[in-house]
Amino acid sequence: MSDDNIVKNGEVLIRVEELYKSFGDNKVLDGITMEIKKGEVISVIGPSGCGKSTFIRSLNLLEEPTGGSIIFEGTDITERGVDIRSVREKIGMVFQQFNLFDNMTVKKNIMLAPVKLKLLTKAEAEKKAMELLEMVGLADKADQYPSQLSGGQKQRVAIARSLAMNPDVMLFDEPTSALDPEMVGEVLNIMKRLAKEGMTMVVVTHEMGFAREVSTRTIFIDGGKIQEDDTPDVVFNNPKNERLRDFLKSVLK
Amino acid sequence: MFFIIKTNTAAVAQPETAAANKAGDDSLMKKWKKITVVLLAAAAFAAVFSVGVSALQGGSFQLLSGADGDLQPEILQRLYDNFIKDDRWKYLAEGLINTLIITFFAMIIGTVVGFLMAIIRVAHDKNGSVPVLNVIAKLYITIMRGTPVMIQLLIIYFVIFAAVDIDKVLVAIIAFGINSAAYVSEVVRSGIMSIDNGQFEAGKSLGLGFPTTMIHIILPQAFKNILPALGNEFISLLKETSISGYIGLMDLTRGGDYIRSVTYEAFLPLIAVALIYLAIVILLSAGVSKLERSLKKNER
Repeated sequence: MSDDNIVKNGEVLIRVEELYKSFGDNKVLDGITMEIKKGEVISVIGPSGCGKSTFIRSLNLLEEPTGGSIIFEGTDITERGVDIRSVREKIGMVFQQFNLFDNMTVKKNIMLAPVKLKLLTKAEAEKKAMELLEMVGLADKADQYPSQLSGGQKQRVAIARSLAMNPDVMLFDEPTSALDPEMVGEVLNIMKRLAKEGMTMVVVTHEMGFAREVSTRTIFIDGGKIQEDDTPDVVFNNPKNERLRDFLKSVLK
Repeated sequence: MFFIIKTNTAAVAQPETAAANKAGDDSLMKKWKKITVVLLAAAAFAAVFSVGVSALQGGSFQLLSGADGDLQPEILQRLYDNFIKDDRWKYLAEGLINTLIITFFAMIIGTVVGFLMAIIRVAHDKNGSVPVLNVIAKLYITIMRGTPVMIQLLIIYFVIFAAVDIDKVLVAIIAFGINSAAYVSEVVRSGIMSIDNGQFEAGKSLGLGFPTTMIHIILPQAFKNILPALGNEFISLLKETSISGYIGLMDLTRGGDYIRSVTYEAFLPLIAVALIYLAIVILLSAGVSKLERSLKKNER
């Protein structure tokens, strides 16, 4: 990132204004307005089909919004002519299904983007890949293929792959939903660590424990709208919105 | 009588099957070496004839005729008439070389153009880009698959290159290459579509462009999936070149046919031609499965 648009802690990194998205007649996002400040860890919760996944996928334009704007570091990325690729370099994303590149080793998975985008030399990328694998506790798996890893290990590699780009924000789209229960913890631990180190994170999750303990803000989406946006303490212990109360009742029983 | 003919043709075929087995066992054989092996098979076939020549010209001919009465010499005589006399085997050899040249270069054209068209069509389906190229590619595939390759060959030779003095082998390469491209492109497209959309999205989310994602992530995975279908297409291509004779080109089939027209014997020349095609196909499929196995090593 160049110096002139550096965003300091607490300043707005992403501003979402009146975001709409429909698939045919189906309105999935119905006017979402919110801000993501640097250093925030935002959990997005809501019933299935509420639009939370579409929302997070809109933030790096994996879903093309039908209306509204997304201002990332001062640039409206929904405008035509914006180089979306260089924007995506700064927005890391972790998927529910990991989406590791099956034809490459773990190390190559991490090295590919920084090398191909000429951000790092091959040697630098390799060094960085090994550091990141060390961090997620998988240095010994560097030369294995994704098919040889467990779900939890795959997701940790996916996180390392995103981090290799030095993103300004990380998006997590239900990162633990495809995992066996005993592997959820290892992934959440890494996410907690990232949060502690000051990474700006937006996490769509069903892990209410994570939302409550780790996030600085929790957003409840239902019917394509933000119904409640507050600290986890308020959202979980003192919910004002009726739908949120129903939702919490059904997931926390 | 028929039994003896059978045993003799089997004897002709034997060295080739042996060559095929050898190729299958050779672990060092790589894709690009396939053609070398095919040529080796051709050499093996030629060797069969030279052995035949020496057998017929040397004393063994007398020996055999003495030992087995008049049946054995009769088949040897027919082999001699069809393949040795006036160097008639050369028609088969020349035809085989042309067939191999046409198939090999048509394969290259088919692969390159086929991959390009598949990528154009996928780029359009996924991103809505290149609409004009997509329409062209679709039209091309419709026409190439919708008309017989023989008609295409005749049109290219007698219409498009009517006024040009052009090598017939080159015409055949172009005709079979662009025809095969249509089939290859659909095979490749199906392979690309079989790759989970998440692979594209992961590439996108890292800031990689469509070409980079294609080349480094999607195509290597798709290629592995489509290899059997691609092998199928190349086998079809090889056999389709047997209509090259329609533009007066001496391919393998034409070579055998020419011998038949001189000797008035259909059986031996046609069987010989069939066996050579079979040998090449066996080698080709052995190469494809070898490649398949070596690519599978990249994953458990």
